[in-house]
Amino acid sequence: CSRLHTKPSISPTLLLSNMYQRPDMITPGVDPQGQPLDPRKIQDHFEDFYEDLFEELSKYGELESLNICDNLADHMVGNVYAQFREEEHAAAAVQSLTGRFYAGRPIIVDFSPVTDFREATCR
Amino acid sequence: PKSRSRSRSKSKRVSGFDMAPPASEMLAGAGAGATENAWSSFGQIPGTTPTI
Repeated sequence: CSRLHTKPSISPTLLLSNMYQRPDMITPGVDPQGQPLDPRKIQDHFEDFYEDLFEELSKYGELESLNICDNLADHMVGNVYAQFREEEHAAAAVQSLTGRFYAGRPIIVDFSPVTDFREATCR
Repeated sequence: PKSRSRSRSKSKRVSGFDMAPPASEMLAGAGAGATENAWSSFGQIPGTTPTI
């Protein structure tokens, strides 16, 4: 969507924009070279990413929730929403992650207003 | 130490964190990587232009 969502100055929830790059992001089920991808490979790739992320974020505090968008819309694809139990832990994560890289791409991290993922749809 | 059933290599996979882009990509801006999107390279995310 093109709406401007307010970015809180602090929140227990973080948004890591477009962080997950699925191997078949150009055409579903096909790699960028046009070769069909084994669904298990796609799942393993995702689980490796999730594991990396969980291990890294757990350094800053206890996670309440960790969601990775599988929505293919440009503004959503690969967005990671990480909700910590404590705002301070989220703040520590923002401080630490800002300016770093993941898999050759800059990490774009900000606080997110989302606190209840069941209600987290843009209307 | 993992209780997963799926097989994977015994050695610990290297985390993608702090994996910097190749120097050529840093300079050129336009990534040659196949999974790179032009708009995702350097923090330019569409849809964030403030609408007053």
